[in-house]
Amino acid sequence: MSLNLEKYNDFVESLEIIDDEDMRFEYIIDMGKRARAVEFPASWKVDKNLMHGCMSRVWIVDEPRDGRHYFRGDSDAIIVKGLVTMMTESFSGLTGEELSELTVEQISKLNLGALTTQRQVGMLAMLEHLKKLGRQSVDALAGAE
Amino acid sequence: MSGVSKLVQPVAGDNSQPAAGDNSMPAAGDNSMAAFDVERVRHDFPILSQEIYGKPLVFLDSGASAQKPRVVIDSIRECYETYYANVHRGAHYLSQRSTDAFEEARVTIANFINAKTENEVIFTSSVTESINLVAATWGRKFLNAGDEVIVTEMEHHANIVPWQMLEAEKGIVLKVVPITDSGEFLVENFEPLLSERTKLVAITECSNVLGTMVPVKKVIEMAHDHGVPVLLDGAQGIVHHGVDVQELDCDFYAFTGHKLYGPSGIGVLYGKWDILNTMPPYQGGGDMIERVSFAGTTFKEPPHRFEAGTPPIAQAIGLGAAVRYVSSLGIDNISAHEQGILAYATEQMKNIEGLRLYGEAPEKAAIMSFTVDGTHPFDVAAILDRAGVAVRVGQHCAEPLMDRLGIEGTVRASFGLYNNRADVDALVQAIEKARGMLK
Repeated sequence: MSLNLEKYNDFVESLEIIDDEDMRFEYIIDMGKRARAVEFPASWKVDKNLMHGCMSRVWIVDEPRDGRHYFRGDSDAIIVKGLVTMMTESFSGLTGEELSELTVEQISKLNLGALTTQRQVGMLAMLEHLKKLGRQSVDALAGAE
Repeated sequence: MSGVSKLVQPVAGDNSQPAAGDNSMPAAGDNSMAAFDVERVRHDFPILSQEIYGKPLVFLDSGASAQKPRVVIDSIRECYETYYANVHRGAHYLSQRSTDAFEEARVTIANFINAKTENEVIFTSSVTESINLVAATWGRKFLNAGDEVIVTEMEHHANIVPWQMLEAEKGIVLKVVPITDSGEFLVENFEPLLSERTKLVAITECSNVLGTMVPVKKVIEMAHDHGVPVLLDGAQGIVHHGVDVQELDCDFYAFTGHKLYGPSGIGVLYGKWDILNTMPPYQGGGDMIERVSFAGTTFKEPPHRFEAGTPPIAQAIGLGAAVRYVSSLGIDNISAHEQGILAYATEQMKNIEGLRLYGEAPEKAAIMSFTVDGTHPFDVAAILDRAGVAVRVGQHCAEPLMDRLGIEGTVRASFGLYNNRADVDALVQAIEKARGMLK
């Protein structure tokens, strides 16, 4: 796969170096805390941006430009905010077609050992959600033409 | 088994089951606290000795589902290994043995709740099914448009939605008893809702979120003064305080096996026999009929009328073993032990900066819901999990209560008979750790 996943590769590398489970956990929390500094407007926290099936609320917004998707995400739980940030940063800048090529492998390579199965499932759901948003925006563009 | 059998005190060790704990266990009803040795009791639960993420398991989610003592696990294994067959079709030896064990469990449970007869004990799959059974049979038959059913603000969804379905189907009206800010149920808030339109009071005995115990004896007296029957959701109540249905004089009492240290997939609906006998069947099928023909079918008497199809056989037998186990420890001993843990935990938790406890009713079971200022319950629970502390997080199937409290969710630590002070200390330590990490 020749996708440009620079940011994603950074995450994979960072998480590979951390060999302590608790430290990996703190890494995610810190990421959530850092993401707090970037504003996610209240007007985006609406039902249409809500991702269903999570224990805490997760909003994901797609801002496509030049045929590529740029995602922003937020959650009221800091750990989930860290995870959603990792996902949106990893997979922004891809085309809908490139997004559709992403697989479960990308998630497992993140080596999120510190996270329980439940949250790994949450990550997969997020990935599927990004892919869906990618398809929807493309459909919407096609419809507008 | 039919007719009214003489009820005897449950005896631990019948059905070739080993006695719960060991022989020196106190008899049921023994009130001396010294007799309850929690460290010894913990050894009865194989699951508790393990480590989670390299840390000792601290299990504080018994309110969702309790762990099982060895006697329960053994009783289920013994059933499947030595005498399992379908029940009530006694053409062969194993079927007869299974039927005997299954019906014996019904008697054990009837004794435990002090029903007049085991024919007042209907096996269901859960509290949810028990309440749905009442709504679908008694409710459909006796409730009409404009009739009122009284619930409280702190019901589990299982005691809201079945009535809302009747609301949609028949136009009945739900009346909701408000709770106080401290999560208390006050009789003076209940009384004004009773009217000639009231046809049923269906309330929780103990809130699964707040631990609040409802003064059900008084509620039942008042309802009966108006000629209104009462259904109690005893899912949490029976676990912490036991129940005597005759003393309470409740008309229906629903509880589940898996919270009472028994298997999942088995629940109980107690109903006064005279009321049960007026109710039409719940589901149609085998085992609930007297005679089937295409000209017409006649139904069995309660409880079998409500138990269509093959019942959860091993689960019922397992619940019988659980009830014998709890009886052998003594529900009063369990209650006193848990109250001690609750008092200790409340004192310790109140020392944690920014911790808010929900539910401070004077009569309260060992269930603690809380939030920590500046944190999301999910994050706290995730860090607790990493520390080996198992809790529940979220709305606890009680969304209307969350709305009432103006919160999105809580972390809930719920204690069982096997929890000790070390569990409380581990919880407090883990909350402090979470506070530090999430600051």
